[in-house]
Amino acid sequence: MTRTRRLVASAIALAGLLAATLAAAPAQAASSYVPINGAGSSWSSNAIDQWRRNVQQYGMRVNYASTGSSDGRNQFKAGTVDFASTEIPYGITDGGVLDTLPTRGFAYMPIVAGGTAFMYNLQVGGRRVTNLRLSGDVLTKIFTGVITMWNDPTIAQDNPGLALPPRKIVPVVRSDGSGSTAQFTTWMAHEHQGDWDAYCRKAGRSTPCGTTSQFPTVAGKGFVSQPNSQGVAGYVAQTANVGTITYVEYSYALKTGYPVAKILNAAGYYAEPTASNVAVALLSARINTDKSSAAYLTQDLTRVYTSTDPRVYPLSSYSYVVVPTDNADGFTDAKGRTLGAFAYYFLCEGQQQAPVLGYSPLPINLVQAGLDQVRRIPGVQAQSVDIKGCHNPTFSSDGTNTLAKNAPQPSPCDKLGATQCSTGTGGAKGTTTPVGGGSKGSGGKGSGAAGGGTGTGTGSGGTGGGIGGAGTGAAGSGGGTGGALGADGSGGGTGAGTGTGVVAANYGGGPVACEADTGVCQNVVAEPVQTGAHATPAGQSLAMALGVGLLLLLVAGPPLVARVRKGAGA
Amino acid sequence: MATVLESPADLPPSPGGPPDADVPRRLGTRRAPADRAFRGVLRGGGISVLAIMSFVGIFLLARAWQALRVAGPSFLTTQDWEPDSHHFGIAAVIVGTLLIATVAVSFALPLSLGTALYISEYAPARLRRALVTLVDLMAAVPSVVFGLWGFFFLQGHLTDVARWLSTVFAWFPPLAVQGTDPRDPLSTVTVYTSSTFVAGLVVSLMITPIMTSIMREVFMQAPVGEREGALALGSTRWGMIRSVVLPYGAGGIIGGTMLGLGRALGETIAVYMIISPVFQVQWHVLQNGTNSVSSLIALRYGEASTFGMSALMAAGLTLFLLTLVVNFAASSIAARSRSGQGT
Repeated sequence: MTRTRRLVASAIALAGLLAATLAAAPAQAASSYVPINGAGSSWSSNAIDQWRRNVQQYGMRVNYASTGSSDGRNQFKAGTVDFASTEIPYGITDGGVLDTLPTRGFAYMPIVAGGTAFMYNLQVGGRRVTNLRLSGDVLTKIFTGVITMWNDPTIAQDNPGLALPPRKIVPVVRSDGSGSTAQFTTWMAHEHQGDWDAYCRKAGRSTPCGTTSQFPTVAGKGFVSQPNSQGVAGYVAQTANVGTITYVEYSYALKTGYPVAKILNAAGYYAEPTASNVAVALLSARINTDKSSAAYLTQDLTRVYTSTDPRVYPLSSYSYVVVPTDNADGFTDAKGRTLGAFAYYFLCEGQQQAPVLGYSPLPINLVQAGLDQVRRIPGVQAQSVDIKGCHNPTFSSDGTNTLAKNAPQPSPCDKLGATQCSTGTGGAKGTTTPVGGGSKGSGGKGSGAAGGGTGTGTGSGGTGGGIGGAGTGAAGSGGGTGGALGADGSGGGTGAGTGTGVVAANYGGGPVACEADTGVCQNVVAEPVQTGAHATPAGQSLAMALGVGLLLLLVAGPPLVARVRKGAGA
Repeated sequence: MATVLESPADLPPSPGGPPDADVPRRLGTRRAPADRAFRGVLRGGGISVLAIMSFVGIFLLARAWQALRVAGPSFLTTQDWEPDSHHFGIAAVIVGTLLIATVAVSFALPLSLGTALYISEYAPARLRRALVTLVDLMAAVPSVVFGLWGFFFLQGHLTDVARWLSTVFAWFPPLAVQGTDPRDPLSTVTVYTSSTFVAGLVVSLMITPIMTSIMREVFMQAPVGEREGALALGSTRWGMIRSVVLPYGAGGIIGGTMLGLGRALGETIAVYMIISPVFQVQWHVLQNGTNSVSSLIALRYGEASTFGMSALMAAGLTLFLLTLVVNFAASSIAARSRSGQGT
C-alpha cells in the first residue's frame, strides 16, 4: 500500500520536473547568448560588475576581470579578450614607450563618468576625520613625497577647523599599470608640472614625466604600493592603517565606508566627487568628435581641471570600453550579439544606477554617440533605442544636462577660507567631524602679544567655531569678549564670554578643549591618542577567550584522557 | 614475464684466452610484449618529463635572450626594474624571493616537524585519521584564499608582533625597522605591513601541509623492531623518537623542507597580494616593502612591452635555475643522508 503510494508520488514528481524542463527549454533557446570575456579597468569595475550581474537575468554571461586598464588594453591588443575597459586610449607614450594601436578594428565607447577620489584613513583623538579638504598643490606635494606629515602647515591652511596630529602621511599607490594612475598623473602633469617632474627625476624617470600608468616610487619615502583598486582601497580601509591616503574611484570609498578628501577647484570651493559635481565638471570636457579618427569619442580634460563653476570636481573623467569592429582574433557575430545587447543595456538602463554606485551617468550626447558605436560591432542586433525610456538622470527634453543643471551649489562652509564644513564625505557621510580648531593657531598668537586676552576659544561642538577663531577679542584687557564671537550660537560660547580672557593667556599654542555648555576652555597637555590596540576590541576578546580555552584544554586535557583510557583498559 | 635464457652460443668469444677460461655467462632476457609495452610507457614518461623541463628552459632562454644581451652582467647586480629604459636587473627581486622563502621555511619547519611527529607518534588512531585529512585539506586551499586572508586579516593582527620584534631585537639588523619610533603612539603602523615577514608567514602556511605529509610518511616507516628495541631498553617515548624516528627520518625532513622551499620560492598570488613591491634590496624583514620574482612577473606581464616581456622572461629563467639548483641540492643531500643511516 505504502509502496504504491510512494511510487505514484515519485512518478508525479518526475512528470512535474520534466514539464518544468520542457517549459524552460524554449525560453533558453530564445535568448541564446554566447558568453563574452572582458578585462581591464578596476576604476570602472564596480559599475561593470553590477551591470553584468543585472544582465544575467536575460541569459547573458559577461565575464570581466578587473586587472587594470593597461592589462585590459594589452589583452585586447593580443586578442585574448572580446572587449577591454580603460580610462586612457591607445597611442599614449608612457615612459618612452608608445602604446601602439591594436591591429584589429576597434572603437571606443564611453560607459560611465566618475571622479578619481582621494580616500583616506585619519583619526584625531580616536575620532575618524571625515571632512578633510585639500588643494591641488598640497595633494600633489603629498603624492610626490614633499609633504610628509599630517600636521604640515599647508594642510592646516586647507583645514582651518581641524588640528591634525603629527602623524606620517602614507600615500598608497597602485603597483600595476592603471587608468586611475594615468588620470591622476595627467592632472598632475598639467596642473603641477614642476613638482611632478621633480619627483619623477628622483624616481629615475626621464622628464617631462607626463602621463604614466605606472606610478613611479622612490625607495625609502614610505609609499605603499598595492595592486588593483581593490588592493589600495582595502589597504587604506584596514582600521589600523591610520594616516594612509590613496587615489581610487569614488565608488570604492562608498563601498568601504571611508571618507574622501574634498578637492579645491578653480572657483575656490572644495568639492566632493558626487555624481552631480562630476556631471558639472565634465560639461567642460572636450570630446573628440571626428568620426574618422581612431580616437573618436576620447576625452581631453584640460578644461575640466580649470573649470570655474563652484561645483566642479576637478579630477572627473569618463571611462571607456574598447569594442572590436571586425571579426578578428576569435571574435564572432555570436559574441557581437551578446556584446551589443550588453552595451545597449549599460548605455541606456544601466546609467540609472551610476549615482548609487558612486559614478556619474553619461550625458545625452555621449549616450547617443555610444549607441551609434554599438552598431559598428559585428553581429550586433541593432536596436533603435528611445532615449527617453532610459530614465537617465542627465536627460531632459531640451537637451541640457539635468543632473548638472540641478546640481546643488556648494555650502558656504566649503569655500576656501576660515570656515570648514563638519559633514562627512564619501562612505562616511553619516559621521560628522567637529570643527573649531581655529582657536589653536590664533590662540598662540594671542598669548604672544603681551597681556594675552584675545578670546579665541569658542564653543567647539558647534559648526561655526572657525568664525570665532578669527575673532578680534580686542586689546589685552583680559576681560575681552573672546569666545562670545561664536556668533552662530551653536556652541554655548556666548554666555561664558567673560571668563575666557583669563584662560586665553594660558593657551600657549597648545591644543585647547572647550566645553560646549559652559564655554570654559582648558589647555590640554597632550592630544588624546588612540592606539591601534583599542581598535579591535571584538577580535581581542575572541582571541582571549580562545587563549583561555586552549589553556584549560592543556591543563585539564591530559589527566582526563588518561583517566578515560585507564577506565577503558580496566 | 621475463624468461632467463642460457645459451652458450651467446657467449662472447674470448680472444687470446684459453677456451675453458672462467668467463661468467651472460644472461639475456626476452620480455613478454606486455612487459615491453609497460617499460616503453614508463621510459617515455621519464623522457618526456626531462624533455618538457628542458623545453621550458630553452623557451625561457630564447625569450630572455633579447633582454639579457642588452643588460649583460649588470642584470645580476642592478636593483631597479625599468626595462623600457633598459635599466633593469634582478638583484633586489632575487634577494626578496630568497628572504621570503627563508622566513617561510623557518616558520614552516618547526610547525610541520611538530605536526608530523604528533600525528605519527602521539595521536590516538582515530584522531590521527582526522588530522591527516585536515592537513591534506589545508593543502587544497587555493593560494588566492591564503592571500586574501593574509591581506585582510593576518596583516592587521601581525603588526603588533612585528612591532614587538623590531623593538626588542632592534640590535639585530634584519629585524630592525626604520622610519618609526616605537615610543611615539602616533607613529604609523604601516611600516610593519606588506613586509617580507607577513608574506613569508602566509607562504609558510601554504608549504606546511606538503612538508608535514612527507615527514609523516617517513616517520611512520621507522622500523617497528628498532622502536620496540628502544622502548625495551627503557627509553621514554621522546627518547625513542630521538634515537630512532628522527635519525631514520632525516632524509624525509630534508627532502620535505627542500620541496617546501621550492614551493616557497615560486609562490605567486598570495605574495603578490600582500607585498608592496620595492626595487631595492630590503634586508629589513619586518619593514614594509619587498619583492619576489614570481610576483613581479604576475604584476607586470599584462602590461609589458615586447622588451619588457623579454626582461620578465629573464627573471623567470633565473627563478627556474634557482629552483633547479635547490631541488638538485635537496636530492643530493637526501641521497647522502640515507634514511636509517644513523641507527
